Amino acid sequence: MTKRKLALAAAVLVIAAAAAILALGTSPGSAKSSGTFKAAWIYVGPHNDGGWSQAHDAGRLYVQKALGSKVQTTYKENIAVGAQLQQTVASLVSQGYKIIFGTSYGFFDKALAAKYPNVLFEQATGTDVAKNLSEYFGAAEDTVFLSGIAAGAAAQCNTIGYVVAYPIPEVIRHANAFALGAQLAHPGIKVKLVWTNSWFDPAKEKRSAQSLHGAGACVLGQNVDSPATGQYAESVNVPWVGYDSDAQKFAPKSWLTASVYNWGPYYLKRVKAAMNGTWKPGFYYGTISDGFTGLAKYGPDVSAKAKSLIAKWEAKLRANRGAEFTGPLYDQSGKLRVPKGKKLTVQQLYSMNWLVKGVIGSPKG
Amino acid sequence: MRFTVERRLNQPRWLVVAVPIGSVVVGLAVSAVVLLATGHDPLSSYRQLFDAAFLSTGSLNQTLIAATPLAFTGLATAAAFRMRIFNIGAEGQLYMGAITGAAAGLYLGGRGGPSAFVIAAMVFMGCIGGAAWAAIPGVFRAFFGASEILTSLMLNYVAAQILTYLIFESQSYWRQTKGFNATVFPTGKPLPSSAIWLGPTVHVQGGITLPLGAGFAVLAAVVLWVLYRRMRFGFEVQVLGDSLGAARYAGVRVRRKVLAVMLISGGIAGLGGVSQDGDFRHALDGDPNGLQKQAYGYTGIVVAALARYNPFAVVVIAFLIGGLANAGNTLQGADFPSGLVGVIEGIILFCALGGELLVRHRVRFVPRTRTPAVAAPEAAP
Repeated sequence: MTKRKLALAAAVLVIAAAAAILALGTSPGSAKSSGTFKAAWIYVGPHNDGGWSQAHDAGRLYVQKALGSKVQTTYKENIAVGAQLQQTVASLVSQGYKIIFGTSYGFFDKALAAKYPNVLFEQATGTDVAKNLSEYFGAAEDTVFLSGIAAGAAAQCNTIGYVVAYPIPEVIRHANAFALGAQLAHPGIKVKLVWTNSWFDPAKEKRSAQSLHGAGACVLGQNVDSPATGQYAESVNVPWVGYDSDAQKFAPKSWLTASVYNWGPYYLKRVKAAMNGTWKPGFYYGTISDGFTGLAKYGPDVSAKAKSLIAKWEAKLRANRGAEFTGPLYDQSGKLRVPKGKKLTVQQLYSMNWLVKGVIGSPKG
Repeated sequence: MRFTVERRLNQPRWLVVAVPIGSVVVGLAVSAVVLLATGHDPLSSYRQLFDAAFLSTGSLNQTLIAATPLAFTGLATAAAFRMRIFNIGAEGQLYMGAITGAAAGLYLGGRGGPSAFVIAAMVFMGCIGGAAWAAIPGVFRAFFGASEILTSLMLNYVAAQILTYLIFESQSYWRQTKGFNATVFPTGKPLPSSAIWLGPTVHVQGGITLPLGAGFAVLAAVVLWVLYRRMRFGFEVQVLGDSLGAARYAGVRVRRKVLAVMLISGGIAGLGGVSQDGDFRHALDGDPNGLQKQAYGYTGIVVAALARYNPFAVVVIAFLIGGLANAGNTLQGADFPSGLVGVIEGIILFCALGGELLVRHRVRFVPRTRTPAVAAPEAAP
């Protein structure tokens, strides 16, 4: 009995002691009511993951550099959906952040936006649009397709390994685009998938790359956030196609190229609009021609032939976004999914749940 | 000089108070060195930490959200560890409770029954789900002597796969299948309004919603305390934990007791899972970047250890650690790396747990002498 009471008393005293220490401390750093506009970013992985989140953070720094002292930016990294996301948004709002960019699906929805009507929310890769909630993303499938051409051209065997995150339409359409590109440069080549069920898990990504290489893949590609696949590719000396960010430094010799994002200009435009009150909700879908997506610079082993094929298709895609998904397209079972001359719409791309012919793996994970 | 660590013959009462405080102060002091070395002002950092955990507007709300699942997993762990049954599976049992509880909520809530009935059914089914999952290592331990540490741990991964499968890799009952959004990214089917747990609101800090689950956690702590301190069951299990032979000799039915403890432990963890559905997510969260990333079950082990397996202390410690987690989340940002937050949380917890040693043991300094009288016992085999 007494021991228990004492333990409780101890806990209370710890709080009291902490409060006493804190009372002696300097005033809290949250200086409010300064003229700077506050913008925040929420990342699903580390800000320096070498891929997806790092590309977003480059966009944040672009905004900070362009607007200087007029804006104060911060980020929250490694945030899980659910309780942690709710806490993160609540604390950002209470610290006076006026626009919050959530860079992963499931971060924001209409209910959350309605809870904080005076804050502007923007979510990458999602679909919900509300009075104070926008969605943004872009046609990475076009540049992933181009990177697939580089992979197919580099393949000396008949299988490419592709490390993929979740069995969801976003990843499925990227895997399809990658496979279509590879098949264009190397007719009949197979693209084998391994799902990691995580956006950022370097250990799992490495194991997946290892198993793909073991299963006979002589080129590796990925639609996950870390460069672990590339580091493995470098160690076994096979070519590698990255994703999200230029990650050549992780695999200088294996590096072919990657589909990369340029989030900065969009972020700058939206933060400026939020600052001068002209912000409107919307659904932005960036393209190669507006500079939203592009290809990272080539590694040493991309052949001149591959480069010219990529250049030809890049010109085509600039004029016609999503041209790689023009029929006839067949699924894994050989069924015609897109008839000749038809092209998939953005809505169809957003709900794509079938894999194209030549992809080995299940669209259900 | 050398020092020896030896068991205390008696534990002075003041130690029980002094050691936790001292440990946390040491933890803060060590963290201060790290903070200074990385160019941060420790005092202002601690002040922000404390503000974000307990003082600023809405902070208690967030702290309760973080603390509630920890209270459940802490209680689940304490209930088993106290009896030297090392159930590491609170994590998986929590998932299973979330699955069965959500099924009850979706099914009964959809039929338009009264909310109290639906919630009661969810609580019941959540406990059943967690208990059933805990029964697997329980049976293997009780009847075949398999280490419950390994089996319960391994089952966590199985439960995680099942949870992900239900939402991401199948068209299950729990998955939202209607609407365009559902085709873009897999989510759980939202619970009907009668299956949502609405806690009472307290009007401090701009309105704090007390999660219904937090109430259930306190209730579970009371039940555990009565069961283990005031009932024959608790005594028998205590004897069993202390000495298997003595328990057998006294006629305790060992297998039944082991199984019962696992069921209680799993049931509480399962209740934590259904509280996630009803209180916070309002759907089954199968996203590997959601519930599974929080690792409530593993943090619960730390909570239970810090509370010395005392159910009431578990609730208090869960609240403090929930505050620390919440504050760490607030503190991290462009000028304060999340890794540094993790380091500080780790140092504080490490010191708090390490300090426990000093309650039961004392450190004695022994002057180094060359007399054989001291050296002889050491040389003995």
